[in-house]
Amino acid sequence: MTRRRRNRTLAALWWLVCLPWRLIRLVLHAVETTASNSLTALVQIWGNKVRSLLTVLGIIIAVTSTITVVSVVQGFGNYVTDFLKGIGTNSMWVYPQRPAGAERAGMGNVVLTMDDFNAVASQCTLIGRLSPMVFSQANIEYGREIAENTPLRGVGAEFQAIHNMYVDAGRFLSPIDIDHSAQVCCLGRDLLDKLRCDESVVGEYLVIDGQRFRVVGLIEEKGSFAGESLDEIVLIPHTTGLKMYPYLRDFVIILTEAIDETSVPDAVAEITRVLRSRHDLKPGQPNDFVVETQDQFLSFMNNVKTYATSALGGIVGISLLVGGIGIMNVMLVSVTERTREIGLRKSVGARRRDIMLQFLTEAVVLATVGGAIGIVLGYTIGHVASLHPNMVKVVVPLWAVALALGFSAGVGIIFGIIPAFKAAILHPIDALRHE
Amino acid sequence: MTGTPDHPQGHAGPMAASASPAGGNGAALLELADVTKVYRVGIERVHALRGISLTIKANEYVAIMGASGSGKSTLMNILGCLDILTAGTYCLAGADVSRMSQSRLARIRGRQIGFVFQSFELLPRTNALKNVELPLAYTRVPHRRRRALAALERVGLLDRAHHRPNQLSGGQKQRVAIARALAQEPDIILADEPTGNLDSRTGDEIMEVFDSLHAEGQTIIIVTHEQHIAERCGRIIRLRDGLIESDEVLARSPRSAVRCRGATRRDQPRNRTASVSERQTPPPGVSPGADTPSAAAPAPGDQP
Repeated sequence: MTRRRRNRTLAALWWLVCLPWRLIRLVLHAVETTASNSLTALVQIWGNKVRSLLTVLGIIIAVTSTITVVSVVQGFGNYVTDFLKGIGTNSMWVYPQRPAGAERAGMGNVVLTMDDFNAVASQCTLIGRLSPMVFSQANIEYGREIAENTPLRGVGAEFQAIHNMYVDAGRFLSPIDIDHSAQVCCLGRDLLDKLRCDESVVGEYLVIDGQRFRVVGLIEEKGSFAGESLDEIVLIPHTTGLKMYPYLRDFVIILTEAIDETSVPDAVAEITRVLRSRHDLKPGQPNDFVVETQDQFLSFMNNVKTYATSALGGIVGISLLVGGIGIMNVMLVSVTERTREIGLRKSVGARRRDIMLQFLTEAVVLATVGGAIGIVLGYTIGHVASLHPNMVKVVVPLWAVALALGFSAGVGIIFGIIPAFKAAILHPIDALRHE
Repeated sequence: MTGTPDHPQGHAGPMAASASPAGGNGAALLELADVTKVYRVGIERVHALRGISLTIKANEYVAIMGASGSGKSTLMNILGCLDILTAGTYCLAGADVSRMSQSRLARIRGRQIGFVFQSFELLPRTNALKNVELPLAYTRVPHRRRRALAALERVGLLDRAHHRPNQLSGGQKQRVAIARALAQEPDIILADEPTGNLDSRTGDEIMEVFDSLHAEGQTIIIVTHEQHIAERCGRIIRLRDGLIESDEVLARSPRSAVRCRGATRRDQPRNRTASVSERQTPPPGVSPGADTPSAAAPAPGDQP
């Protein structure tokens, strides 16, 4: 009795000892089966090259467009992020804005003036550099050339450090220029082309909206941002700007920086407090201005990216559906064509699940091959597009590649199930007799 | 073949087994008892098999003959576990397969039965070796390549292992198919008109392959409608209208034309047993070299 029990215990122990070995064998067998099924599938695909290609065209197009658009959106997003990082993560800008909704009633003029700027400059302790900015558009004449509706910015001396816009020829607007409302300007590089001149224009005079200005510096090339050239710009002292365009005095924008990154929220609170008290806003009344930070802009950009990606997701979903139906169709044809093969496989020992797995693997391999071709094509298109000088550098993120492959395989599984099932339930005799 | 037919029971090994004319040695490998098969075609019921009782022993070499519609294909399908019988029992190597599930039947097809078809059924775009390996992949046996090569060697096609079916002649294709059936080392080889798509010379070659496999101890069942093919076997079972019309044992040796005849009818099922016992005891006075197997006369009195 005891011996029998001991034997049973030993058998159980032996079973446990063998368990990992059996599991390993099971996994190895699964891997081997998948490999051999995939090989069969590849042979089939290669044997029907044209048909396979046409079948997976839907998936190729879906994946190609996804990868292309995602890479461009990502590249654009990276560009924006880099651009904003260049400006500085602790920078802020304040501009007047009439609050939305019912609370706007009873508010006076919504303005931000140089007095507000000076109050912020003198009363806020958590901010470092700051500069006012007014903006307009102006016609610039140089000789017989004229550049119409050129963006014009009236800025302070610290603008170049805050906005990361340095000159690489001549000098920037100096504090003395600003104090004296001097008629001097800095030009963006694109204006050189428009006005048909070169770097020798520094020191020369040109005419901005009827006023004579001396060019003191040229701003280094900045490229384009959001499809707009950043080099088509003219900078003048804000004092001069306010004199030329007096109506701008109510729309002064304050560009500033917190002393460091961590004090950005406190700096925002400080500015808000100073401006609210200057504007005599009662508790409960909304701000009639906006303090915007890098974070807000970044999150806005991320939102744009998210919307673009989800809109894309819908389109891709539809094209993958179409591609999947194509795969289902060709798999059904393949099952009918290979009925005798299925009969043979069954007669030499294939079970239903073996046949099912074989055809499912074939659909998945077909779809995944389509996905892979799509990835390569999308990648190529993205890179060809980025050869254009005005295009941002495209980036194909790894998650997009993985997602595209995953989705293709998923489509293969979903649309391969019906044909695989049809193959699996075939009766071996009928299958062998099939002509 | 060693000539003198002797009692097969108590002997083991291919040489001893092949010495008996029909080749049966000992225990029953296949046992069909009162098997019926009814197909439903539309609302009609077609009785393909009306009650077949049959015993086939290991290393027998059996031909199943019959006109079309006689039920021989149905019998073949049932023997090969491709179809499920309607009534009766079928025991294969001691296991009752008549009530097994589809997946267990698939396993039996893979391990115990080797099929050879009229139209070869080789996978195109796949070389001979891979074709032979196919059944091994489904039954998870180790050393597949070695086994497949051994099977190809047995049919004399080792040098064509890497040829594709479209690079092989008809006879070679059928030999690859035989190798595929052999690879699993099955209990029975079931051949359905194996020479039907071949010219007579190539057909003879294929039959020689079967002959030598039988000599090595393999149990073989061939469905054919050609008399001269059937006569190479040790036993001919004739079907007619879903019943066994006759079940005769031939002396396989070309030098002797000993035949024992035993007709089995549904109304006299004990005849089957009688025929088996007849088969196991060769009649006395057999003189070797007297006749050829093609001279198949219907009565036992025709013996020389």
